[in-house]
Amino acid sequence: MMRKCHLNTCPVGIATQDPVLRKKFQGKPEHVVNYLFMVAEDTRQIMAKLGFRTIDEMVGRSDVLQTDAAIKHWKSDGLDLTPILKPATKMHDGVETHCTIPQDHGLEHALDNTVLLPQALETLETKQPVVIESSIVNINRTVGTILSHEVAKRYGQAGLPDDTIHIRLNGSAGQSLGAWLARGITIELEGDANDYVGKGLSGGRIVIYPPKVSSFVAEENILVGNVCLYGATMGEAFFRGRAAERFSVRNSGANTVIEGVGDHGCEYMTGGRVVILGDTGRNFAAGMSGGIAYVWDKRGDFNLRCNLGTVELERIETEAEQEEVKTLIQKHAQFTGSPVAEAALDDWDTFLKECVKVMPTDYKRVLAELAEAKVAAMA
Amino acid sequence: MGKPTGFKEFDRKKVPWRLPVVRINDYEEIYTEPKEELLRQQGARCMDCGVPFCQSSSGCPIDNLIPEWNDLVYHGRWKDAIERLHKTNNFPEFTGRTCPAPCEGACVLGITDPPVTIKNIENAIVDRAWAEGWIEPKSPESRTGKSVAIIGSGPCGLSAADQLNQAGHQVTVFERANRIGGLLMYGIPNMKLDKMQVQRRVDKMTAEGVTFKTGVNVGIDVDPKELMNQFDAVLLAAGATKPRDLPIPGRNLNGVHFAMEFLTANTKRVLDKHDTSLFINAEGKDVIVIGGGDTGTDCIGTSIRHGCKSLVNFELLPQPPEMRAADNPWPEWPRTFRTDYGHEEAAAKFGKDPRTYCILSKEFLDDGKGNVSGIRTVGVEWTKKEDGGWKMDEIAGSEKVWSAQRVFLAMGFLGPEQYLVESLGFETDARTNFKAEHGRFATTVEGLFAAGDCRRGQSLVVWAINEGRGAARAIDIYLQGSSLLPAPGTTLGTTMA
Repeated sequence: MMRKCHLNTCPVGIATQDPVLRKKFQGKPEHVVNYLFMVAEDTRQIMAKLGFRTIDEMVGRSDVLQTDAAIKHWKSDGLDLTPILKPATKMHDGVETHCTIPQDHGLEHALDNTVLLPQALETLETKQPVVIESSIVNINRTVGTILSHEVAKRYGQAGLPDDTIHIRLNGSAGQSLGAWLARGITIELEGDANDYVGKGLSGGRIVIYPPKVSSFVAEENILVGNVCLYGATMGEAFFRGRAAERFSVRNSGANTVIEGVGDHGCEYMTGGRVVILGDTGRNFAAGMSGGIAYVWDKRGDFNLRCNLGTVELERIETEAEQEEVKTLIQKHAQFTGSPVAEAALDDWDTFLKECVKVMPTDYKRVLAELAEAKVAAMA
Repeated sequence: MGKPTGFKEFDRKKVPWRLPVVRINDYEEIYTEPKEELLRQQGARCMDCGVPFCQSSSGCPIDNLIPEWNDLVYHGRWKDAIERLHKTNNFPEFTGRTCPAPCEGACVLGITDPPVTIKNIENAIVDRAWAEGWIEPKSPESRTGKSVAIIGSGPCGLSAADQLNQAGHQVTVFERANRIGGLLMYGIPNMKLDKMQVQRRVDKMTAEGVTFKTGVNVGIDVDPKELMNQFDAVLLAAGATKPRDLPIPGRNLNGVHFAMEFLTANTKRVLDKHDTSLFINAEGKDVIVIGGGDTGTDCIGTSIRHGCKSLVNFELLPQPPEMRAADNPWPEWPRTFRTDYGHEEAAAKFGKDPRTYCILSKEFLDDGKGNVSGIRTVGVEWTKKEDGGWKMDEIAGSEKVWSAQRVFLAMGFLGPEQYLVESLGFETDARTNFKAEHGRFATTVEGLFAAGDCRRGQSLVVWAINEGRGAARAIDIYLQGSSLLPAPGTTLGTTMA
């Protein structure tokens, strides 16, 4: 009604963070109930007028629709828009126009249910570390998520100690590998993966590297698909190779090392650390407001591909920060055996000179204020 | 919207009226000169809602572009503001003074806070425009050669005349009183709407080519059939002038008058100092006004200016609540307790609000010489029936006698007078209103249209303008086949569906 949701001035206290305006909110759950009853009643009346008993009967019945006379206008004289209302039944015999067959999700065939859970059941109770090995193909989607659900049910957000359930996979993973992966689970994949690896990562660890027998140059090839680590909140991910577009978008707390990304990397990111040991596509860091990205900019032209609307480009300054980045790269070397990581560590000074730190302006200000407050509190 | 955060920063503040104790000594308007900064702030309170309910079916009946001119006032663009205002409203100075402002009742800000002072802003825009000389006669560029007669010169007749004249038709307005304006002239007292305001518009329209004929009572002085022959179309805008009576014993006693007799005669005397022929004086009298609406208020304000001895206002219904009741939610017109100028003045003069609720008049008392000396009343109680309706019961033992030498009946109007119906032979509806569909405004007689209170029954000035504009468009289509005249609820460039 107001359409002022973007201005923080919602006068009835709904779409606003302003405490003064929020006090004006008068809504009650009963109002929603009332509203839905009225919608249902209105719908019933319209249906009764049209002679329908159920919604199912109505689907596709465009023959009962009438054109609104109010849109009669000389400009529309030559237009006949009736074909867009042609129901599917008119074009093909025997097609249904509404749901008649319930969807079979086939969850019982999911890798989590067939392989992971049976082998992890004991660990879930005893916390005794376990290693699970399995091959994987791209029909295996969302691998590790049902298992994460079991971990979260028992141990909540804290999960299990790191690496308690270590899953070694071999092959080509389907979409959403390790989505919402809980803490205590490590997925180590030798092969490659589709889109959405580590979506919503929630404390687990994901390690992916190409088959050890492969002969291509890993850092020049795409290892994982689009939108990896979208909305990740916690955990770690190491990729021995490149990601496609939209890597680490809306990441709010996961740490990751990768060897190159496509367009729109780190868009809307609000937290976490992203180390990119290679180049990026265009529009990097658009709308990024938190967390830090480090890009090994060997060619010295990263600034051309970075969206500088909300971020500043700096260099790594303090010892502590050096140590943080170094630790991540060391882990990357350790888990994936990446020669790129080795090279960075071997010539650390050159790496430091060439590494661009992508620092959100607001994030920097907040960190400085927090540090000041801490000093003041100690004094 | 002016300022996105304006409604958080500024409280609602109305342009004040003159002090009651001062203003009751004259018939000048009750309003004061508004301060520009105040209006800017109040304009800033408008939130530019995605769906502005001030323009909805609960809000302004003439679709005033309220958020737009609120914003223009905030930005000091007064000349642009009057242009926007005139797009939908022929006479903003009438509505800015007399409208109960359903727009404010429907203002989205009103859900949680006091609404924007839309009426004040409207009034200020048009007053400023007159003062700056921005409103000037502008005749139509060409004439169609078609002629229209309008019977009645109230807000409906005048707005229809203005519209039809601007569309190029030759318009003649017939008025039975000696001045143009209908209720605007003789119904609403001068302190609420200065008669200069009405005359100024009439003068402007005369300069633009409209012909006004006063003192012509169509149906009595002139055969309406002659008008039908003489003009290409005729619009009936005769108003709902039949007052509701109170047929209780003693109704014929001297001193019991319909409100309109009292108010009309008073305005006549204000305008023509010598004309006291029909004047009803309330000076030194105990006055009882029966009926709690706007006309009742006008009788109160007028009696006080006469110098009445005491004043009581009867209302049959219970006192409305301070806040909206549960069955009267936003954006409906809020049925709440309001204090209008007359009540304020009575309180200032006599120390208390003049209104008495839940009271039923049973008999007008005779002083023995055929004059009214008082009213015998009984208290009533209203209870909700099972079917949702209300039941009124007299309260035993609550009889009371009130002293009164002047009684004014302000209980609303029943519909139009019927003498035009017989001579022209068109149909009326069940409530004796002239039968015509809103939007088409055509009566059952070809070329004869009806609009305003005579069609819809007693209503607001703003509804009269709604109907006047709509009827003008309908008549324009009748005469020309299509119309570019805007009217509430229509889209420019379209013909009637």
